[in-house]
Amino acid sequence: MHFLVILLWAALDFTALAQPQSRVQEIEQARDEKSRKLEPDNPSMFEARLIEIKDKKVIERITAGIGGVRVKIGGMPTGSGFAVGPDYFRNDLARGKLTVNAGLTASTARWLRYYAGVSLPSFARDKLFWDGNLVHRDYNSLNYYGPGPDSEKIRRTNYRLEDSAADTILGVKPVKWLRLGGGAGYQWVNTGPGRNNRFASTDTVFRPAQVSGLDRQTDFFRVGYFAQVDYRDNPLGARSGGFYSLRWDNYDDRNLGRHDFRRMDLEAQQFIPFFNKRRVIALRARTVQTYTRSGQSVPFYHHASLGGGDDLRGYRPYRFNDANMFVMNAEYRWEVFAGLDMALFADAGHVQTARWKFRANQLESAVGFGLRFNARNSPFMRIDVGFSHEGFQVFVKFNGIFNQRVLASSAAPHLF
Amino acid sequence: MRFKLLSYGFLLAAGPALAARFYSDDPLDREPPPRDASKAVRRKISDYYDFFQQTFAAPGQQHPKGGPPIPAQAVNTLGEPMDGAWYTKRHYYRPMTVQELVDGPGNRNPPSTDGKWTVVKAKSEGVTPGFEFIDSQKRRYVLKFDPLEYPELATAPDVLVSKLFHALGYWVPDNYIVHFTRDQLVLGPDVELYDAKGKARKMTERDVTELLLRVPKAKDGRYRGGASLFLKGKPLGPYKYFGVRKDDPNDTVPHEHRRELRGLSVFCAWVAHDDSRSINSLDMLVSEGGLPPHIRHHLIDFGSTLGSASYGPNSPRSGFEYVFSWPPAIKQFFTLGLWVPDWAKAKYPPYRSVGKFESRRFDAEGWLAEYPNPSFTNRLPDDGFWAAKQVMAFTDEQIRAIVKTGQFSDPEAEKYVADTLIVRRDKIGKAFFARVLPIDRFRIEAGRLAFDDLGRRHGLTRSAGFRSDDEYAVAWSVFDNNTGARTAIPGASSLAVPESSAEYLACEIHAGEKQKAVTVYVRTADRRVVGVERGWQ
Repeated sequence: MHFLVILLWAALDFTALAQPQSRVQEIEQARDEKSRKLEPDNPSMFEARLIEIKDKKVIERITAGIGGVRVKIGGMPTGSGFAVGPDYFRNDLARGKLTVNAGLTASTARWLRYYAGVSLPSFARDKLFWDGNLVHRDYNSLNYYGPGPDSEKIRRTNYRLEDSAADTILGVKPVKWLRLGGGAGYQWVNTGPGRNNRFASTDTVFRPAQVSGLDRQTDFFRVGYFAQVDYRDNPLGARSGGFYSLRWDNYDDRNLGRHDFRRMDLEAQQFIPFFNKRRVIALRARTVQTYTRSGQSVPFYHHASLGGGDDLRGYRPYRFNDANMFVMNAEYRWEVFAGLDMALFADAGHVQTARWKFRANQLESAVGFGLRFNARNSPFMRIDVGFSHEGFQVFVKFNGIFNQRVLASSAAPHLF
Repeated sequence: MRFKLLSYGFLLAAGPALAARFYSDDPLDREPPPRDASKAVRRKISDYYDFFQQTFAAPGQQHPKGGPPIPAQAVNTLGEPMDGAWYTKRHYYRPMTVQELVDGPGNRNPPSTDGKWTVVKAKSEGVTPGFEFIDSQKRRYVLKFDPLEYPELATAPDVLVSKLFHALGYWVPDNYIVHFTRDQLVLGPDVELYDAKGKARKMTERDVTELLLRVPKAKDGRYRGGASLFLKGKPLGPYKYFGVRKDDPNDTVPHEHRRELRGLSVFCAWVAHDDSRSINSLDMLVSEGGLPPHIRHHLIDFGSTLGSASYGPNSPRSGFEYVFSWPPAIKQFFTLGLWVPDWAKAKYPPYRSVGKFESRRFDAEGWLAEYPNPSFTNRLPDDGFWAAKQVMAFTDEQIRAIVKTGQFSDPEAEKYVADTLIVRRDKIGKAFFARVLPIDRFRIEAGRLAFDDLGRRHGLTRSAGFRSDDEYAVAWSVFDNNTGARTAIPGASSLAVPESSAEYLACEIHAGEKQKAVTVYVRTADRRVVGVERGWQ
């Protein structure tokens, strides 16, 4: 026992001998210990993969594709289901002056869209822009509830819209915030029975007398003009400024002589920030007014529609259709954190057969709330839940609620 | 039996010695010469991984809940970081002249305009456009620019804040504002460029021209840029604000406990450096001064300070909330935005060259970086005081001189930045000095313990928490260096050092609030202050 105690203390005393005798020695001892355990300072496997993705620019490469060929997701109207397809996109031609885009998109609802475009987004010292597009669409089950503000929800039908168009626009940017221009194009239209068997085909529920253009289709030559004033602080996620747009299009029926019309699109957006732009009141008013001479009518597939995630959010997509339309939206948005804004909104609007007839008692309205997920100050996804007397709707969208395309700002902007 | 007792007694006496509190070489002014770290290899950090790890995982060692906090480490017995690979005692310890402050880490190596600047690499890191070039003197620089619509927003702080951090003791690059025309630049051979699609191709002269189309151009046709002289040595990647670098034998103290990194939070608060993330640091393997190759730790890239986010003005939230934090997010979510944080009401200057930088709502203690940096969240009041005393060492005149190096073209903007820094400086002093007894620079003069009352020196004595007279409660005791025991010396209650045969004396000083008492240790052999210990509220 005595021997063991001595041994124990001797061992402890050996430790004591290792006690540093100076501060430098103490530090050196720590370094000695560290030196025995040196190892490469490698990131974890997960972090290493993230670093690799960044270094090899994987996301940029996926986005850019191979030789300009990439996979494009989305790009179809509401109701198409999941849409995907090959897309060829080059904006590096002619030293970045020329953009070319072509592709095919197919959706789970078997909608198809072929497109090709070429554009000069900026030339003549950044004062002019030009764009030419070809498109063929085959949307085989577009919702249709009949014309007018009194259309019934239970009369949901669907029809097929198959059209082709060739259009070009030329515009000028005299100052940074102003765009003026015009365009011309030709459209070949065909409509047919809807392919969605869950609902009746439009032609089986409505008569041609009720729905103009249902029985016979035609082609259109169209000429248009536009003016846009845009002084939003960030077009992809505006918190201040405004956007005002006027378009005037003449549609000339080339075959039947029954559907000549002129169409005016007016839109005003204003963003009123407060509390350092962490709160925003976003207002939008938009109207479509069409003009026809006696004996002429606007075909139903050229009607303005209301309903869906972009205007009347408590209603199904394309719920209301007619030759004229008016809608107002108001949103109160607040920032939850850098990556998320929330919104309370109110929408109101109606469609009309007659021009410039706004009747408050005929307004369809919706209220709701939304989430806007942001990356670098721009929303990349939003979820809107709208409530109306027809129930509620949930929309998951990958665009901004008021995202009005600035003409010639992307590869294939359409005037029409 | 007697033998047994005797032998146990001997063993007890000669048994495990308790570690001495002070050694004969205390306090160390410099770290011991570093060991060879040449086997360290370059490492990278994923910006996203870093952000999510710090935001949601709380890496590193935090103060134990309910237990005593972990004091700052990598300091000498006076509580001061030692000169070395992380830090060098500068302005507070050895007041620098205005010229020295303005010179910062160099100021003698601006890019030479005697010849062309040869572009040798496109800049791939960061959010602003730029490239690397070599001047006619064969010096290599990183050239960065301001956002097109906000001239001077990023380049001015990149230069002037580097001077501040240099004076505050950190290793920083030597930054310059440069003005040049397109023909100053020539493209070197085989320079590679990654386009927006991630495709590598040869850079062309047109690429240089097009890059310059995206940056502000002055009326005289010249471009303004921020040129950062390449740091000496071999780059080894950023450091982290927690843990240690596993391949560096000299890096033995977890970074979250290093005083100069805990205190960095105060400096970052001063200049609104909310982008103080790992990505804006850089380890370099250096061999100089006869020392073996070792790692030196730098702060880099100050373009996102003073309210700038480099690509535009910063968010008004910056400095007040993390990019993501549950409590404010939940409040915002459930109150429908009716809860309006104070920062959302702040007013900002109208100058495009100055970002979201203000002083009225600035909260020195509550300031936050973009994510919960473990070194910052571990800051204790004595860490805060250590930093605040250095911030307070800058006079108004010195701050104005340093701000001038940012070369703001609008004198009003320059004045605004300087005024804001001055007010923020004072708020820092007021906040952090109030948490401790703000006395420092202890020394023995004519047989008395002397010190500087920084509260009085900086005019903060009349504020709440500070005494308005110079009377301090003093109590001397004998300090046992081996056991840590203190034995009071009766009647020793003045600043005069009592006569004693003891090896060490301890002097406890307070000004009415005992929890803020400062204990100063004096070695009697050389009558030198060897240790300082601070209490706080």
